[in-house]
Amino acid sequence: MVKFLKPNKAVIVLQGRYAGRKAVIVKSFDEGTRDRPYGHCLVAGIKKYPSKVIRKDSAKKTAKKSRVKCFVKLVNYQHLMPTRYTLDVDLKDAVSVDALQTKDKKVAACKATKQRLEERFKTGKNRWFFTKLRF
Amino acid sequence: MKLSKFYVCLDFRALIAYGATEPSVAAAVPPCPPLSQPTTMVASKKTKKTHESINNRLALVMKSGKYTLGYKTVLKSLRSSKGKLIIIANNCPPLRKSEIEYYAMLCKVGVHHYNGNNVDLGTACGKYFRVCCLSIIEPGDSDIIKSMPGDH
Repeated sequence: MVKFLKPNKAVIVLQGRYAGRKAVIVKSFDEGTRDRPYGHCLVAGIKKYPSKVIRKDSAKKTAKKSRVKCFVKLVNYQHLMPTRYTLDVDLKDAVSVDALQTKDKKVAACKATKQRLEERFKTGKNRWFFTKLRF
Repeated sequence: MKLSKFYVCLDFRALIAYGATEPSVAAAVPPCPPLSQPTTMVASKKTKKTHESINNRLALVMKSGKYTLGYKTVLKSLRSSKGKLIIIANNCPPLRKSEIEYYAMLCKVGVHHYNGNNVDLGTACGKYFRVCCLSIIEPGDSDIIKSMPGDH
């Protein structure tokens, strides 16, 4: 009886091009909107996970391996698998629904989330989120 | 490499195992209860009397309360946090059973493993079809929610 599809919840996308990718809920629309009359949410996820960094990598190589490629998407609740993990990264100002209207706004939103997620990855927290799901 | 929900869901057993070692820095990780042991027919402490009482309570819910039958609607009721008790038949496929239990764990909603298969559960609901899982939204006059949720 506790709502769990809330912002900052880590989820796994199940369908579509990004199936199998981990994402974080930025904004949830439980009642749906006129265009999407079903429960859905705005997620920001990882398109390309950062590679494994080893100790003997040079600084340049580490920087290259720690890159994260992101996506922003509106997804139906049915196509998500919620997890028990949360990721509190502040993405509300970077990602919004109107960022999905035009391509350049979308690119800007993805760049902003990429920055935030990369710095979160480098701190070493939320390691589960940045590991690829094996299936 | 085709991803179907099944294969992803296989991982959340790993999620639970993994999460045990991960330091929970990022705030609220809800306490994960141990993965349920389904009540077996052989070692069942449930007598015929309690089994009938579940059936009686379920019949009362069907008459006076609100419920949904079926996997899709059960998940919907859990997502919208409307479900108050989930009942799963004993021949429910284990992946689906785990998935419903995981959602229920996130929701903090009780899951009852019915002592019978989907045919029996359908009969207990007074329906002429099989019911693998059902979700009770409003118990009506029944006290099923107060008396059952200890079972997991």
